Amino acid sequence: MIWKRQIPILIVAVVGAITLFGWFIDQPDIKSFVDDDATQWYDILASFAIILGALNLIKIQFQKVAKKKKGWPYSLFAIGGFFFAITAGFFIKSLDNTVVWGAHVTTEGTLSKWIFDYMFTPLSATMFSLLAFFVASASYRAFRIRNFEATLLLVAGIIIMVGRVPIGSMISSWFIMYISVLAFGIGVNSWKKDKMITFGVVGIGIVIVTIAGFLTGWPIDQPGIFYLPILQEWIYFYPNVAGARAIMIGIGLGIFATSIRYILGIEKSYIGE
Amino acid sequence: MNRLTEFLLKIGKVDRRWIFIVLAVVVFIPIIKPIGMPIRATVTTKVVYDTIENLPPNSNVLVSIEYSPSTKPENHPMAISILRHLFKNDHKVFVTCLWPDGQFMAQDALKQVAEEEYGKIYGEDYVLLGFRPGGEAVIKGIVSNIRKLYTVDVNQTKIDEIPMMEGIYKFSDFAFLFTASAGFPGTVEWVQYASDPTGVPMSSGVTSIQVNEVMPYVQAGQMKGLLAGMPGAAEYEALIGQKGSATSGMDAQSIAHLVIVLFIILGNAAFFIERQRSRKY
Amino acid sequence: MKDRQFWIVLGSLFVVFLIYWYLGHHMFNVNRVVMFISIVVIGATLLYNIRMAERGEEFYLRPIPGLKAVEEAVGRSTEMGKPVLYVPGIMDMDQVETVAGVIVLGHVAKMTARYETSLNVPVSRSIVMKAARETCRESYMLEGRPDMFHDDVVHYLTDDQFAYAAGVNGIMVREKPAACLYMGKFYAESLILAETGNSIGAIQIAGTASQAQIPFFVTACDYTLIGEEFFAASAYLSQKPELIGGVRGQDMVKVGVITIIILTTLFRFLYEKWGIGFDVVKLLTVQ
Repeated sequence: MIWKRQIPILIVAVVGAITLFGWFIDQPDIKSFVDDDATQWYDILASFAIILGALNLIKIQFQKVAKKKKGWPYSLFAIGGFFFAITAGFFIKSLDNTVVWGAHVTTEGTLSKWIFDYMFTPLSATMFSLLAFFVASASYRAFRIRNFEATLLLVAGIIIMVGRVPIGSMISSWFIMYISVLAFGIGVNSWKKDKMITFGVVGIGIVIVTIAGFLTGWPIDQPGIFYLPILQEWIYFYPNVAGARAIMIGIGLGIFATSIRYILGIEKSYIGE
Repeated sequence: MNRLTEFLLKIGKVDRRWIFIVLAVVVFIPIIKPIGMPIRATVTTKVVYDTIENLPPNSNVLVSIEYSPSTKPENHPMAISILRHLFKNDHKVFVTCLWPDGQFMAQDALKQVAEEEYGKIYGEDYVLLGFRPGGEAVIKGIVSNIRKLYTVDVNQTKIDEIPMMEGIYKFSDFAFLFTASAGFPGTVEWVQYASDPTGVPMSSGVTSIQVNEVMPYVQAGQMKGLLAGMPGAAEYEALIGQKGSATSGMDAQSIAHLVIVLFIILGNAAFFIERQRSRKY
Repeated sequence: MKDRQFWIVLGSLFVVFLIYWYLGHHMFNVNRVVMFISIVVIGATLLYNIRMAERGEEFYLRPIPGLKAVEEAVGRSTEMGKPVLYVPGIMDMDQVETVAGVIVLGHVAKMTARYETSLNVPVSRSIVMKAARETCRESYMLEGRPDMFHDDVVHYLTDDQFAYAAGVNGIMVREKPAACLYMGKFYAESLILAETGNSIGAIQIAGTASQAQIPFFVTACDYTLIGEEFFAASAYLSQKPELIGGVRGQDMVKVGVITIIILTTLFRFLYEKWGIGFDVVKLLTVQ
């Protein structure tokens, strides 16, 4: 029982304390442990642990094929791919055998490189490209003007989406000003519910914008506050960074508090307690 | 009016597969028939350009490649443009990779730019140190003693036998760092463990999703500018005067963004109509 | 640890450190003393609140809808006769979020054992697979249902990010779980998982501290635990006093951080505008 409870907690406490407080000690061996060795020990463990995962994967796929479970032909692909990759990595270098072991993984003309270029790359790119479609359907579903915050999110999202791309720089700031006048008119209408007042406000707004445009010569990027690329830069630099920093600080504190709980042995659920 | 209302209500309940099809079509058409929209460089991209442009002649520059084929459309054009800029100004380029896939990407980029375009000599003008496992430990190793971490390069040649490695022992021997990053380990780890503690200036090119996360470091001055996604890569291509795949992708991205905005507006119109109807009844 | 023992240990450590400091603090990196003091103060605050909670003090925690919904989600799966899918992120146990995800898995496993619902946990790393198996086995044993657990409940797919996303998507589309829980560290695959879960009509609860992925989960999932809410999940679900005390301690530290930010802004303004005071930024910069 001591091997499953007390020893793991002791290891976590000792190694955690050394790694945490070792950063304040100017001693070469401790610095080397904290900066290099601790992480490398972990990587060595993780590298050997891959064998466990691989064996589990193969076991489950073989069972599916052996018991002819639903979808078992797909397991043949999984098993085939597994052994094909092992063969390419460990047994076949290249056709002419001139490539050095190790470099054969990335050298042009080897089976490993062929797998990477013609199988792994298209498959990875395909999976990532799904994001484009899913972002579109998620935005379509989620961006609804339910309340003030949702409206703000929607407006900021549209400004960033359009302002970030070249088409945003082609949209004149005067066009945005006209849109703003119309949006303001909608707001006035919801508040006053009087067509005359709404018409008056919108009319005056349009006249002011038009006169200002004629006087300044309709420059595409002035006034800057209505030019989408400048507006999106401002949103990125100020409100976005403020929110991101706040979340970062909160997450940092959460990570620290959680880590301290592990090091002090207060949180023991990760070993199943 | 009724027909329009019914049409908008239908749009509000449209199967998402129609959205996928429309998006695929509007992305495909500008790729086949480019529009050629003008690219306007943002402040963050200009800072990266100016930093590299103002590097002292013959500087030792570390370029770190940590992206995989999945984010190649965003990160690869950045890496290519940066390498072009560095080789054009005759700087010495040292390439490392924190991701295993990054080594493949680095080889492709160096083959295209260093070998084919600029005729640079391996070992004298550029060297590919390759991938080492360990994540942040690799960065810390580069900061303290690069030769302990890299005893051979990607071709298994001993580091001591590579002419341009003379005088390079640790991170502070480099004049500048550029990292093309798509996640962990990447930009944030380079800032935390390498650039900020040693004072070596760095810039980065990241995917659009990561810009949010990395912008605080840019604003705090811990990074010199940022290439933000494919738009950032296209802006850099415009600044160096050599168009690439990022520029050609911007037309498609622009139209796609407009279509998404249109769907959002139509969806909201349907939402309002439904809400009014439910209030009415 | 009893109060007396605790104070003896703490007092001894403090005295030892004072002696070490006055003897010349050999090998101590003096440039980092501000960070050292911060860690000690934050740690002390957390410990103080944990001990207060252990002594029986009741602390109020605001309700988090996402955590209340976990039991509802498992209940929904039981009613529909469908499995619960739990995704503990794509990173390894060296990430705090993954460990937090495995801890929440333990609580979810207790619920699935209690309600006799099947649980499916595809993982991306071998060490996570072993840790998650131990956690689930323990949970099923505590609920008196060790017969319901077998090793293949937690199974390894692949290390590669998008191959893992493809594998999990395949599981979702084939098995159609009624509840999908995403708790851990995620990257770009988060939206792929969440959208697929949405398309099969599952109730989705996500928890992550990955800043860039929070917006995607908020958009596509029914409930999202943002940042510290995710780290507090273990305290909420277990209701253990020491964990709740830790959450309260965290909030107290946050108040301290906000105060320091305001004071730093004020001191910096005074110093840069009129030269009054000192360069507080230099003091707080970590070397």
